[in-house]
Amino acid sequence: MKKVLIVDDQANIRTMIRLALRNRFSLDEALNADAAYEHILTDRPDAIVLDVIMPGKINGLQLCERIKKDEKLASIHVVMVTACGQVEDQELGRALGANAYFVKPFSLLALEQHLITNLLAAPSARAESSIL
Amino acid sequence: MKNLNIEELQAAWQSCPWGIAAINRKGEVIAVNLAFEQCTNIPNESVIGMMESTFDALLLNNPLLVRNRIETQDNNLRALHYVQHAATCSGNDLRLSRAAELLREPLASIYGFTELLLTQNYDEDTRRDLTATLLEQVEFMSNLINEHLDKSKRVSTAHKG
Repeated sequence: MKKVLIVDDQANIRTMIRLALRNRFSLDEALNADAAYEHILTDRPDAIVLDVIMPGKINGLQLCERIKKDEKLASIHVVMVTACGQVEDQELGRALGANAYFVKPFSLLALEQHLITNLLAAPSARAESSIL
Repeated sequence: MKNLNIEELQAAWQSCPWGIAAINRKGEVIAVNLAFEQCTNIPNESVIGMMESTFDALLLNNPLLVRNRIETQDNNLRALHYVQHAATCSGNDLRLSRAAELLREPLASIYGFTELLLTQNYDEDTRRDLTATLLEQVEFMSNLINEHLDKSKRVSTAHKG
């Protein structure tokens, strides 16, 4: 089963994403980007569903940048899920290497489908990136 | 450019409209300015000596705070935290975008849990739990709106006075 790490400081958001993905993916959770980075180094996920604004030394965008600049981690599929919905926020996410950018509120069905397409479907069916 | 003396620096620190907290190299809060308490409603003396992670968590409890953390190159200071209440930020665009970001969080829960309830077959207990979460998030959202409007009203009244 493909592994997905859910990173959000809001317990409700982690819960609803877990409920939506639990039948198809092996799930882990982290409360902030610092804990997520530690987790990734010891137990590398296939994808990470990542909030932007969280307490800690680094935020979600900085974690995304770290992942994508590290050749050992760069293939992790990074999906930003964030309340920062302005065009420049999305452009920044894309510039830092995020594979997809979901603006809250977002459809859990769309998130699940995105991960199925990019982690479970044949490579030819995979989308390069998406902004929803 | 003339270097500011200690009195001038202190005057600048205390008159800054942003709440500022200084963190030393050990990670402790060593100073906050006058605006900090006005912005956060947290007594200044209660945060002195607090570790940065605890301080960070304390500020996070108030989602209406606009925050920024700047790392410093100083030998004694590790970082400065800048804090302002969303309703007092200059510029309507910033206020509106911050308010929108705040409302998106509970809205995301409401959207997500509703979608789950409509598309998944949960037992009665789980359906009740998820519905209770929906209600909590609606109340949270309502409180955010009320707090934001109250603060905006106070700021507007202060400016007129």
